[in-house]
Amino acid sequence: MNDFRSWIRRGFVAAVAVAGVSAQAAAEGTLNYATIGEPPSLDVQVGTASIASTISQHMFETLYAFDSSYEPQPLLAASEQVEDDGRTLVISLRTGVPFHNGQEMTAEDVVASLQRWAEHGSRGKLLFKEGAMVEATGSHEVTLTLPEPNGAWKNLLAFPNGGPVIYPASAVGAAGAEPLAVEQYIGTGPYKFNEWRPNRYVELVRFDDYAAVDAATDGYAGARVAELDALRFIPVADVGTRVAGLQAGDYDYAEFIPGDLFDSLDGDSNVVIHRNGAPIFGLVFFNSKAGILKENRQLRQAIQVALNKEEALRISIGPESLWDANGSFYPKSSVWYSDAGVSAFSEGNPEKAKQMAEEAGYDGTPIKLLVSTNYQFHYDQATVFTRQLAEAGINVQLIVVDWATLLKKRGEEGEWDMFFTHHGTVPDPVLITVLNDSYPGWWTTAESQEIKAALTGTADVEARRVAWADLQQLIYEQVPAIKTGDVYSYHIASPDLKNIGDSTVIWPHFWGVSK
Amino acid sequence: MGRYLMQRLGAAVTTMAAASVIIFFFIHLIPGDPLYVLLGDGSTPEQAEALRAKMGLDRPIYVQYVTWLTNVLAGDFGQSIFFQAPVLEVIADGAETSILLASITAVWVILLGVPIGMVSAVRHGSWLDQGLSGTAMLLASIPTFWVGLYLILVFAAWLGWLPSSGYPSIFEDGGLANLRHLLLPSIALAAPNAALILRLTRASMLDVAREDFVRTARAKGLPGWRIVVHHIFRNAVLTVISAFGFTFAALISEAVVTETVFALPGIGRLVVQSILRRDFPVIQGVILITVALYLVINLLVDLTYRWLDARVELE
Repeated sequence: MNDFRSWIRRGFVAAVAVAGVSAQAAAEGTLNYATIGEPPSLDVQVGTASIASTISQHMFETLYAFDSSYEPQPLLAASEQVEDDGRTLVISLRTGVPFHNGQEMTAEDVVASLQRWAEHGSRGKLLFKEGAMVEATGSHEVTLTLPEPNGAWKNLLAFPNGGPVIYPASAVGAAGAEPLAVEQYIGTGPYKFNEWRPNRYVELVRFDDYAAVDAATDGYAGARVAELDALRFIPVADVGTRVAGLQAGDYDYAEFIPGDLFDSLDGDSNVVIHRNGAPIFGLVFFNSKAGILKENRQLRQAIQVALNKEEALRISIGPESLWDANGSFYPKSSVWYSDAGVSAFSEGNPEKAKQMAEEAGYDGTPIKLLVSTNYQFHYDQATVFTRQLAEAGINVQLIVVDWATLLKKRGEEGEWDMFFTHHGTVPDPVLITVLNDSYPGWWTTAESQEIKAALTGTADVEARRVAWADLQQLIYEQVPAIKTGDVYSYHIASPDLKNIGDSTVIWPHFWGVSK
Repeated sequence: MGRYLMQRLGAAVTTMAAASVIIFFFIHLIPGDPLYVLLGDGSTPEQAEALRAKMGLDRPIYVQYVTWLTNVLAGDFGQSIFFQAPVLEVIADGAETSILLASITAVWVILLGVPIGMVSAVRHGSWLDQGLSGTAMLLASIPTFWVGLYLILVFAAWLGWLPSSGYPSIFEDGGLANLRHLLLPSIALAAPNAALILRLTRASMLDVAREDFVRTARAKGLPGWRIVVHHIFRNAVLTVISAFGFTFAALISEAVVTETVFALPGIGRLVVQSILRRDFPVIQGVILITVALYLVINLLVDLTYRWLDARVELE
């Protein structure tokens, strides 16, 4: 069925290309962005959905922002002073920065936002461990006091996904654990919230009083100038419609186009392809709390040895420019890149795996692999892996469910031995879910805890890089999870969009863009 | 008549009560967690549990049912977990699209299905009949998403006459002109349904044409068109109407594929997406309202029977 649909899609797109479509003018000054689906809450302090980050980064800002080489630069912060070996962080804020409701941002708002993030934010506990606190030490100065130095502090303050965006104190006061109500979508960004029509669109409009930082635009950092009147994010679930709608001029930008359309779109002059600069990668987590893989490290290694990831990537993704059989958790261009342990990434050796499984005492008991069909490449790769493991005599039982069921079941330790998910590129390894003690998989071995402490316990960049390389090495030895390889998503844009540049670093952004 | 309506009303209330129980408990039987969908993959279990308690989703299921039912009886269908907006608002927005789409589609279905079915029946066995019936079979068998995509290709991408997708409300800028957004989807959705009505009209007319009273009418020397319209069609139309009633209700609740292809904010897509997100209040609201809709349409169909055919007794 999928083959059939993809065949039809391909024919359809090729037909559009041949027809030589002329784009018709859309509403002046509004960018229409066709999304893959409806976003959940745009309160990115508590939510980690990519689509929510894509939209809300235009409204909400963080104290720091990443430049194009992933170095955090001041955004709402003006400068900082690190004292007491990194246990005390004094951050001065920029003055004269208005919120969308007209009030000026002060230390009070920053403290309220950080406290709420510390307590209820998805990633707040990574910085605000037990005993950490934040207080206002001036009208535009906040001081963070940490029980231990945290080398990742600036990266954590700069990462907006599940991160510490700054809201007015009045907005966070009532919210607590619950995502902010839409009336409370008030930030300092170049665009402000206008309207959310369920199933129709989310619309942001230009914030005329935006106070841009006095620096050149660079990645997510620097000045963010809103050139367009409005941004409209429209859910268009069918990829054929996203493509045809863009070619018809109804959309200016359409996200997440599948690999099988890449070649036909690549030659189409009515379409500009934007390949994401930052890959996502599949991750298969192993259950460290219960079941057959719990303490059987050798069986985990046998599974790792059996897998040929290149084959799985070729089958599931397609065009070679859209994937990379890279075993490092970071692409080569990143400061965090390391080849420690990666020789074990894709051995694809069934005989060796069979022998290792036997030595591990494996008796053919089915190994439950939980996978969802909502993400096609998860299912496709899981199917390839199941066959490869069968060749090594390892019996995998695929449990195919929808995404909502998988998210629930993976929290129940007795329900699975492995589960399939994916991960985005994150600017600091502490944000990788494999390192998170409470993330399903629950990798908390003594060795891992020790290196994790070394990774966060110092601000020295070189020492942190060494610690991360050690951790990556350990991941390939203890196999808490298996990385399945880098996948580069791509999006398509109308040729009329100007200055879109490298805006697809992680989440496409549209400040500086005009049409 | 009054007694009949009271009886029907009583039956409707019982059906709705049964439906409410079934909907509520069956939906909660599906595994899956709306809070993780809301919070995303990177969220922590502690975070989800705190939110669950805050939203009251940690209470026993029967307590949640009683609370929900009490609120529904007071006209409050609750808040959507995903949209954080009142369920009725979310449904009302989708209902506009769905009802308009179904209505325009219904016009196509009647305008195409009934007259062509009549012609086919009158000329049954001829080349014309075979051509029309064959086309109908073809339309009924082509998947809607395929027809939809090619309509977009030709009329939106290629000719640029009509918008490719979406539907801005007629209460917004553009007003009634926004209905042009529904033209292509209604054609895609009408194709298989018109074919069905066409086949049904043809078949039931052919059935009736074999009856004795038709032969008598011919023997009396009545004009051919009069026999077709007043004797045959009038008797055949009952079957067509009952089929049409259900088709119309189905057009509202089952237009998922068309709504997805044309990115329309309708009820069908809303309910499917809500199931995937486990947005329980929205699913419950939509299904309960759909059940009510089926009951109303069923009643209207029965009343139409009575109006069309004096032999039908409403007791």
